[in-house]
This record gives sequence, C-alpha cells and structure tokens, in this order.
Amino acid sequence: MPGKIVEGRNLKDEWTLTPDFCVVGSGAAGGVCALKLAEAGFTVVVLEEGPNIPKGQGHGDKSHVRPMLNERESMMYKLLYQEGGARLTKNGSVKILQGRCLGGGTAVNWSACLPPRKETLLEWQKRGLPFTRENLDPYLREVVNYLPIVRNDKYNTSARKFIQGCDHLGMPHDNLPNNTHNCRECGSCGVGCPYDRKMSGFVKWLPDAVARGADVFTDTKVDKLVTSGDRVREVHAHFLDGKNRPTKGTLVVKPNKGVVLAAGSIGTPAVLLRSKMDLGGRVGKYTHIHPVTITIGKYPQPTHPAYGVPDNMWSPKFEAGPTGYLIETGSFFPVLSASATLQHGEELHRIMRDYYPTGAISYAHHTTGFDPKEEYGTVELDDNGDPELDYTIPEANVKSMQESLEVMCRIHLAAGASSVYVMRNPPLEVKAGSGFEEIKKIDFTESQRATIFTVHVMGGCQMNNDPKRRCVNNDFTFGSVKNLWVTDGSIFPTALGANPQVTIYALALWGAQEICRKHNAPFKLNHQQGGQWPWPGY
Amino acid sequence: MAVAGILNHTLETLARPKSRPEVKPAKLDHLSNKTALILFAVAEAVLGENFLKKCPKFIETVDDYLNYQRPAQRQQLITALLVAETRLFNLIVGGNLRGFSHLSLADRREVLEKLRSSDREQSRNIYAAFVTVAAGTYYSSDLTWPDIGYPGVSVDHPEILNQKPAPWRPQDPRPIEP
Repeated sequence: MPGKIVEGRNLKDEWTLTPDFCVVGSGAAGGVCALKLAEAGFTVVVLEEGPNIPKGQGHGDKSHVRPMLNERESMMYKLLYQEGGARLTKNGSVKILQGRCLGGGTAVNWSACLPPRKETLLEWQKRGLPFTRENLDPYLREVVNYLPIVRNDKYNTSARKFIQGCDHLGMPHDNLPNNTHNCRECGSCGVGCPYDRKMSGFVKWLPDAVARGADVFTDTKVDKLVTSGDRVREVHAHFLDGKNRPTKGTLVVKPNKGVVLAAGSIGTPAVLLRSKMDLGGRVGKYTHIHPVTITIGKYPQPTHPAYGVPDNMWSPKFEAGPTGYLIETGSFFPVLSASATLQHGEELHRIMRDYYPTGAISYAHHTTGFDPKEEYGTVELDDNGDPELDYTIPEANVKSMQESLEVMCRIHLAAGASSVYVMRNPPLEVKAGSGFEEIKKIDFTESQRATIFTVHVMGGCQMNNDPKRRCVNNDFTFGSVKNLWVTDGSIFPTALGANPQVTIYALALWGAQEICRKHNAPFKLNHQQGGQWPWPGY
Repeated sequence: MAVAGILNHTLETLARPKSRPEVKPAKLDHLSNKTALILFAVAEAVLGENFLKKCPKFIETVDDYLNYQRPAQRQQLITALLVAETRLFNLIVGGNLRGFSHLSLADRREVLEKLRSSDREQSRNIYAAFVTVAAGTYYSSDLTWPDIGYPGVSVDHPEILNQKPAPWRPQDPRPIEP
C-alpha cells in the first residue's frame, strides 16, 4: 500500500508514529535509504525539515508541473535553502548554499554527476574506509542507470565560451554528465526544476519510496534523538509553518528497528549535538567544504547567462592533488550576481549592467581536507541549538585558489572576453596584461577579502579507523549505538574533490545494504543492466 | 542570544533614525519602524536615491526574508543596523557625530567604503551584510531586470525557451526538445 507525503505545516496536534525505521532528511542519502528500506519490506517514515514540493499544473505552459517552483530567486532561496540561502560560516567568510526542502540538495543542485576521484578513494582507504573503485562499481552503476545519468551536450553560452577559451589555450575540457532528461534549458536547476526534467530526489527516489509504502513528513524539524542503553528509542521533532515558525504540533517517532541520519554534513552533526551524542567531542569536527572561486567574463554579444543547461562542461586539468580544483561552468541570475559583487553605489549598478547581459561564468571547486594534521571546520550549536560551521579557508588552499582565478581569467580572455570580473573586495576587473598580479595578493583566509561560496559540505561525522576521529563505523553504525546509522556526506573523512551527489547516492546504497543485512532483509540493486556509462576512462 | 536581545533592545531605545516619508509605519515581522528607517538609509547608500521606484516592496521583502534566517543571524543583522546608527560608531568609522541615517548620501557611502576596506573582520562583515541584503533584494524586483537585460523567468515567459536557435547555443542545429 502506498505511503503519503504529509505537510507538517498543517499539523497542530501531538503525533506518535511507530515505523520500523525513521530516516532523518530527504536529500541524496535519505531518499536512497527510504526507497531501499521500503523495498525491503520495512515501514519507513522520512522526516524533512523543509517544505513539500507538490506536483500539479503550474502557471507556465503545460510542462510546468511543480507550481511552487516559479524560478524567482527572491522566493525560491527562502523556500528551498537552509537559512533562506543566506547561511554563512561562523566568521561570515563563506556563503553556504544548502538545500532544505523535499529532496534536499538534489532539488537545488546544478545536476552535475561525477564519480568519486580515485585519488580520494585511495586516501580514504588509508584511513580505513572499505570503499574502492572496484567495489563501488555496482552502486555507481545502479545510480547511473536508475536516474539516469547522461552526457547532455547542449551547452549554454558560458560553456561555449569556456570550450572556446580552453581550445585556444590547449587546455583539456570535457562534458560533465548530469541527471537531466529532455532538459528545457531554463537554467533554473539551482532554484528547483519546475519541469521535472532534473531527476531530483522528489522526482525519483522519494516518489518510488512512497509508492512502496514510505511516509514522508515535510516541515518537520528534528529536535533530538532519545537513547537508552545502546539504542535510540525515540526521535523528537516539531512542525514548522510556512515561515519556519514552530506550530503547536509535535511528533515523536518510536522506531522498532532503527534510525538513519541523512540530514547532511551540518544537519546530521547538529541533531547528534542536540542529542548530547558528541562522542567525546568528535561529532562536528573535521567538516570540509569545497570553497568556490568565481569569475565572470564580459563578452561583446549578449549571452543570456541565466538560460541553458548550467553545469555540463568542466576541465579536469587541475583536479589532481590534495588541493586540486575542478573548473566548471554554470548559469547565473540577478540576485545571486548582485549579492556576490561586494560593491555599492553606481559601481554596483555599472557592474551589473556591464557584466550581466554579456557575461559568462566559470568557477572552481577546491579540494580540501587531506592534511591529517589540520582540523578544518567544526559544526557547533548556537545559543538556540541551531548549527553553524566554524571554518577558515586553509592556508594550503590559498595558492590554488589564486591560481584557479588566474586560470579562469586566462580562459575567458582567450575566448574573447574584454575583461573578467573577479569577486574580490574591492572588486577586480582583469584585462589582458593587467590585474593578474592583484589576484596573487588575495588573502582568502580573511573574511570578506573575496566572495567565496560553497555548495558542497562534507564530513563532520566521519568514518575513519582512527579512534580519535571515528564517529561512524565501517558498517555505517554510529559509535556504539546499535540501531543508528549515518549514510550521508557527513561520513566523508576528507572533501571529495568532485561534485558529491553521485558518491552520496552510492554510499547510501551501500549503507542501506548494511542495514538490510543486519536485519536479514532482502537488498537488491535493480538497475545493473543497460544504460551508457557516462564517465569514459573511469 | 539573551545578551544580543538586551543589546538590541537598548540600542533600539536609544536610536533616533531620521524619518523618511518613503518609509511608512507598518506592521512587520522582525523590523521595527526604527530599524526599517535605518535599513532604508543603508539601502539608499548602497543602491542610490529613489531605489524604491524599482523595488517598491524593499523593506517588506527584507523583513519577510528574515523569517527564514536562523534567529541568531537575524539578530546579528538587526544589531548591525542599530550599531551603525550609533554616534560612537559613526565617530569611530567616519568621524561623524550623527547617526548613519542622518548623514548625507556621500557621507554614508564614505562610511561604507571605510567598512569595506577595514582591517577589522567585523567591519568587513557588516559591509558584506549591508551590500548583500540591499543589492540582492533590489535585483530580485522585476522592475530592475530590463536594466541588466534579464528577460525574466521561463515559467512566466515560455517563449524564451522556444526561440530557434536558442540564443545561448547559437548555431546549434539540434532541435529543442519539448
């Protein structure tokens, strides 16, 4: 019998549920675990802090099938993102864009699908993790075929300029596979696909889980886990209204078999910290991000930078090494652009007028987290029990971040840009032969010397053979708690060095298998045949 | 949180922001009439005079946005607004003895410039908060989009996606899929 999606904002009473499993979070890991546990015959309740994204006819053309998703940044960031899209690190230095809605990050990511770097997996093996390129293969294959992941080569202007610039410089570039299907090229992946052409969690994993009986509660914020002995006995949550305010409704889940934490690398440590389950201070530690540096090239012709597939072109040239980086291309919109300029007065408007209509974007995700002596970031709770990430850009990344800006400027200029906007404070416009020296002076370790984003947060509750660092065991159980599993990106011991969506899916499948094994329940990978492997050479 | 609350209450009691006819007293979720006036003065410094013409719901939009912040961060923005209005702050930052909202546009911009280039992280964070909130909110308004050549969102204008060839992939012969 199918389950249902229940919107917590409409609930005012005290609720108690007794499923087999409670899954906290509906993002990449939560969706996978909900589906695989439901497939195994368990009763499952998923708790998602953010809102539902119901299906229906929208006000656009007939393909607009998610009425709530209207692409307007001013509405979508506040509805779909943590802290309305304004989440920052504790010192304000990094803007953290993280999904907070049905489907979590999968609802708002730019659909990029890369496998884990082999180099990262080798580093993880050194730290005692069981994952290898070979033994991950069936899980990756399942993800590739189920979503599916494809090589969509409809390139937007940013990607085309990038290809042009790379070709001029003799720099390698490649298609970046993604999980879109008959993409309409609105460019709005980052504010939720209104057309169901991106295979987000709310399009794939979660409806399939609901079809197999899982119930999903949205607008439901988990306060804490209640343990006794070596087991979690209850999950306490409350409901939120449409403006994030608590309603009078509360929920207690008393799982018969266990709890799966899949609330992401800030959310999962936060739940554990609120539950006083910090494992002697290890929970929340060693949290990693991919700091993102950004450039906008100014070209002679209009580029319509909002439209087209946002993230399907990249260069693998600089990805290797503990501080390597991936240069990717994207789309950009007025609010995100304006709020990242660090500019005021007529200069703000000039930059928007000069760079928006004829702009093309490239940006670089930087790998961090490989130095075993560094502590990196820490998730803490503020006085209200809300999480914040204490993070400073590591010294080791400064040079590569300067380098990525320089490389991206050269690519833009080689592609015909007359100047390149670097989001430094004060703003920097690089032209052929000028401005490059200024890039080398940017100190990314200091807050607001440049605009730094991240869209990938990892670690904070890591799997590791070092008992001083280990929170999660190799069977995905947490500490010595027998019925608590962690399956999201918080288990990463380092940053991944690639867009993490696919790796989280694959590890969550592995984690779900471990849970099923423990309970002698069936687990099957159903999509091993067919499909085209999207990563030649991997 | 309690300390921040007391600080904000005290600062708000002492604050005497300049009245502006453009800012009508209104029932808002998080901003008071006083903090709305300071926010207006900040936004005017960031965006220029008459910015409400193209973003008439600026104050309401920011106020609604604050619902989605975590409470501590919401408090921090309100604290920053109230601190900016204190005479001590303006004396230290810009050598002025008046509250931020009472300064001329040029003087307010000078204060912003000093915050931006300050060696103190906190000052730069205040600058970043002010320009991020003001610029982001302003350019969320449809009325500003023609200035930057943004045609709008596709669900409102499906024709954008049906142009052949698509202007963001010129000379691409492949048909646009439905």
